[in-house]
Amino acid sequence: MIRVASNMIPDALINSVTRLNLRQQQLQNQAATGLRVQNPEDDPTAMRRVLDLQAEASSIAQYEQNIAQLKDQSTASYNAMQSLKTISDRAGEIATQADSTKSSQDLATYAAEVTQLIQEAAQIMNSKYQGDYLFGGTLSDRAPFVLATNADGQVTSVTYEGNTSVAQAEIAEGVTLSAVPVGANSSGTGPQGLITDSRTGADFFNHLISLQNNLLAGNTAAINGTDLPALQNDEENIISQIATTGALQARMDAANNIAQNRAASLDKLISSQADADMATVMVQLSETQTAYQAALASGAKLLNLSLLDYLT
Amino acid sequence: MSIGLFGTLGMAARALQTQQAGIEVAGHNLSNVNNPAYARQRLSVATSTPVVTDVGMQGTGVQATGVQQIRSQLLDDQIQSETSVSSYWNAQQQALQFAQAGLGEQIDSTTTSDGSSTQQGIAQSLSDLFSEFQNLSTQPTSLAERQVLLMKAATLADQFNQVSQRLDALRASLNSSVQTDVTNANQLLGDIANLNNQIITSEISSGLTANDLRDLRQQKIEDLAQLTNVSVTQQANGGVNLTIGGVLMVSDQNVLDTLQADDAGGGQWLVKAATAGTTLALTGGSIAGEIDARDGPVATLAAGVDQLASLLIGKVNSIHADGYSLTGSSHEDFFTGADAHTIGVNPVLLNNPALVQASGTDGAVGDNAVALALAQLGTQAQTALNNQTFSQAYNQSVAAIGQSLASANSQVSNQQTVQQMLEQQRSSVSGVSIDEEMASLSIFQHAYEASARLMSVVDQMLDALVNIQ
Repeated sequence: MIRVASNMIPDALINSVTRLNLRQQQLQNQAATGLRVQNPEDDPTAMRRVLDLQAEASSIAQYEQNIAQLKDQSTASYNAMQSLKTISDRAGEIATQADSTKSSQDLATYAAEVTQLIQEAAQIMNSKYQGDYLFGGTLSDRAPFVLATNADGQVTSVTYEGNTSVAQAEIAEGVTLSAVPVGANSSGTGPQGLITDSRTGADFFNHLISLQNNLLAGNTAAINGTDLPALQNDEENIISQIATTGALQARMDAANNIAQNRAASLDKLISSQADADMATVMVQLSETQTAYQAALASGAKLLNLSLLDYLT
Repeated sequence: MSIGLFGTLGMAARALQTQQAGIEVAGHNLSNVNNPAYARQRLSVATSTPVVTDVGMQGTGVQATGVQQIRSQLLDDQIQSETSVSSYWNAQQQALQFAQAGLGEQIDSTTTSDGSSTQQGIAQSLSDLFSEFQNLSTQPTSLAERQVLLMKAATLADQFNQVSQRLDALRASLNSSVQTDVTNANQLLGDIANLNNQIITSEISSGLTANDLRDLRQQKIEDLAQLTNVSVTQQANGGVNLTIGGVLMVSDQNVLDTLQADDAGGGQWLVKAATAGTTLALTGGSIAGEIDARDGPVATLAAGVDQLASLLIGKVNSIHADGYSLTGSSHEDFFTGADAHTIGVNPVLLNNPALVQASGTDGAVGDNAVALALAQLGTQAQTALNNQTFSQAYNQSVAAIGQSLASANSQVSNQQTVQQMLEQQRSSVSGVSIDEEMASLSIFQHAYEASARLMSVVDQMLDALVNIQ
């Protein structure tokens, strides 16, 4: 038979009460935070996964931000292209209407309107987004198109001051794209030029200047024979850029959807690694509480008793 | 012939003395009921020498023969060695808890995947830095993004500094614990030698066991076992020999050698034998726990954080150096410093954020080649980090310290169970029971009354004899 010394009961009581208290504190903490893992020591493997998943979630959240930024930029460039197309439409109308039936007076009026259109187009092409010129390639700190006029106010030339490279940003790991075309690209490679592109033969400003000059000179044959088809070619280039921008936006939307889905599934993964199962926690907590109460109650009864109570 | 009335009177007197001694021993036990070092004592009694009479051998009553201590040497030895193990893991647990807290990585229930998390450790700051490089790549001319980037980079640098400072402080405090423990251990060696002396002297002169002194010595040995693993050899003369790490430290009343804390270089304090001069390979006790935590998980963590910081400085700077700023300047470093202690953001950039070099082409401020390359650094596996990204490498360090702490936690809890079981067993053998002592008080009291009655009966008989007329 095991002998029980007087201090064994209080010692054992203190041990079990301490252990139960610790367990209660842990369970209470899990219930209050909803987390099974809080510190690395709780479950190092899960902690590692959660930290990795959080890093991934953070980079995905950043891709979503990049996409939003690129989309804003692309919307600004899309609006500019739309305005450019309106100008191109009007120039096409003028080129069609300026036939041999029109008086030189009428042609001069058209010429003045074309001058205005050139000025307007140059202004659009020099538009800024967040302080940067949109269509100057990476030389975004200077106006990409510079107009020269003669004493009569007619435009003599429009020169492109930008370059033919664009900044690309990541929309997913390793996937980069650029939201805007460059203003002009005569190199035959690289991003498409919106106004001038040697691959499609587009040269909008020079064709408008030629239209303006031919109108002033009354050279309707050249207008019909050369300027009109050239301007139609320019318009096709602009329309193709608008279509490209639309496709880009669709691609960004798709990338955004993928990022959002991935973020949602990462949330679930993090939760499955770190979250406590509330039902289990609550059941365990109430079990521990019962044990704690039992230990205290039985201990309190035993501690008061000894042979001393019965000896007189 | 019998022992006679006077003989019987002597028998009653001896019985009274014996019962009184029983009461005294029970009182001593009761007084020490709460003394954890105390082992209960028992009065041993025997019949006194019989006398040969006409009717045969006749008893002459009782006499107390000694006071015995109820102790189990086996349990004492086990408790002493388990104490060393417990205390080793306790020291590790404590050190690793500091290291874990120093990292400040905690999962927060309000943490969400959209980056708006409230936890602020290096893990989050690393993600923030690369996010800001991304933001700069989408707006390469923005001054505002540059400012935010520099702020986030400075936060990360501060956190690297803080973590390495905390780990340094932990190392320093572990070293000073080693020194304090060594001082205490030497004090205990002296105390035990002194007790050996008293025990040997008193046991030789009286031929009896010095119970209470032995209790005290056992307690000192267990205190010493908390600091270092010690092997104890009982000697025939009642003394004990203590050997620590293979070096004989105490023999009888002599302290032959002491411990000495010794800086092995680079703040790596170890323990050697002061006289023998050998470095002691301790395997248990808080001193070994402190040394092993310092040179093990804590050192690995500090090295990992330093390596991460120095690689980050190198990679970011080498990409950044080739870039061009908003003003067209180039070849400026992004980070300064060489490791986690010294990492900082280049003050030139902090003073003028426009000098952050995001562009890859001279003069083209809208170019973002460098910002993009920096942003992509965040998801690139680094050969020097075992093909992990910066974040993954750091997360691995966090998980590693967590793993060490978790295993220390489970060792501590296992040891507690073992220790408690042994202590209960020892209490069962050596602990004082109030009930038992109260019972023996009653027993001795009644026996005392009975012996006193014997004396009074013999007295009456003598009275009757003397007054015969």
